[in-house]
Amino acid sequence: MANDTSVLHQDYVVRAREMLLQMEQGNEEESARLLDELVRLREDSLFRELGKLTRDFHDALNNFRLDSRIADIAEHEIPDARDRLSYVITMTEQAANRTLSAIEDSLPACEALEAQGEALKTRWARFTRREMDAQDFRVLAHDMETFLDAASRDLPRLHENLQDVLMAQGFQDLTGQIIRRVISLVEELERNLVELVRISGQKLLPPEKEAKPDVGVGVHGPAVPGLDTGTVSGQDEVDDLLSSLGF
Amino acid sequence: MRSGPATGPVEFHREAGLDKNIKILIVDDFSTMRRIIKNLLRDLGYNNTSEADDGLTALPMLQSSSFDLLITDWNMPGMQGIDLLRAVRADPKLSALPVMMVTAEQKREQIIEAAKAGVNGYIVKPFTAQTLKEKLEKIFERVEAK
Repeated sequence: MANDTSVLHQDYVVRAREMLLQMEQGNEEESARLLDELVRLREDSLFRELGKLTRDFHDALNNFRLDSRIADIAEHEIPDARDRLSYVITMTEQAANRTLSAIEDSLPACEALEAQGEALKTRWARFTRREMDAQDFRVLAHDMETFLDAASRDLPRLHENLQDVLMAQGFQDLTGQIIRRVISLVEELERNLVELVRISGQKLLPPEKEAKPDVGVGVHGPAVPGLDTGTVSGQDEVDDLLSSLGF
Repeated sequence: MRSGPATGPVEFHREAGLDKNIKILIVDDFSTMRRIIKNLLRDLGYNNTSEADDGLTALPMLQSSSFDLLITDWNMPGMQGIDLLRAVRADPKLSALPVMMVTAEQKREQIIEAAKAGVNGYIVKPFTAQTLKEKLEKIFERVEAK
């Protein structure tokens, strides 16, 4: 480039000197021709500059595509991610409340069974040591029956509550999948921002190809209400769809 | 124990005729979900369960040991559930293995895709213990009918 400029410079100098000489000698025709040549040289370098500008403009447009991906993230995917994260809060809250309710319902029943069982055990020991008269034994037998009734009534409830606590833990899988998806968005945003800083820091360099992260073919994760379309809304619809397919 | 109301705990112990000792492989990348399914199965009387965290670890287990049922998630790193299902159907030794998907994937086209790939049951998360029980029974009924 520097070499080009000095060659060009040399061309100007040679012609300008020659033109001056021809003018001083009154050779008008030749000096006009040299002036024309100088103008043409000037135009050539203008075109070269214009060509360079065009190329820069083209590169800048390419880089602008990267900017538009960032705009797309800012406009659509960040609000989308925010809604998904809000849904995570809702789900974790529901799971925590479901667990706490099951525990609150279970603890009093546990404590009652524990206390009654302990009291009966003491009295049963008295009976086996033959320290109990017939009247006390009749009361013991009655209390024993009441206890067994309570046990067969409350234990299935405790079982149900424990199963509820078990099922509530499913939130970890579902929210985990949603959070993973948001993390991959954040990673993409980070890559794009780094690229943007690189472009504005150095002069326009050809952009690297920026591909959307591969989140796996045909995998969507848990459906978030109001965000995901084309999903079924529960097991009943799955069953209907499958039975329509001959299942 | 009580019987009947849908709100009650799901009872497994009163099943007639089904072999409770069948060998079941549970595949999910989230260990919490594997534990949930494992505990539900135990509650239903099925204690002979193994676990794998994706299709790549599950497939060799299926090939080297005779499982009677595969319960798998869809969205997993490594090898996804749908690909595991296809690999099972493509393997002459495993092709008849009953496969149930338990997944959060609930796009219509995905359910159709799984059906085409030969899934035997499809449960969407979050699911209930009752749903798991019903779908298992349905699978076993069909296996026994064959």
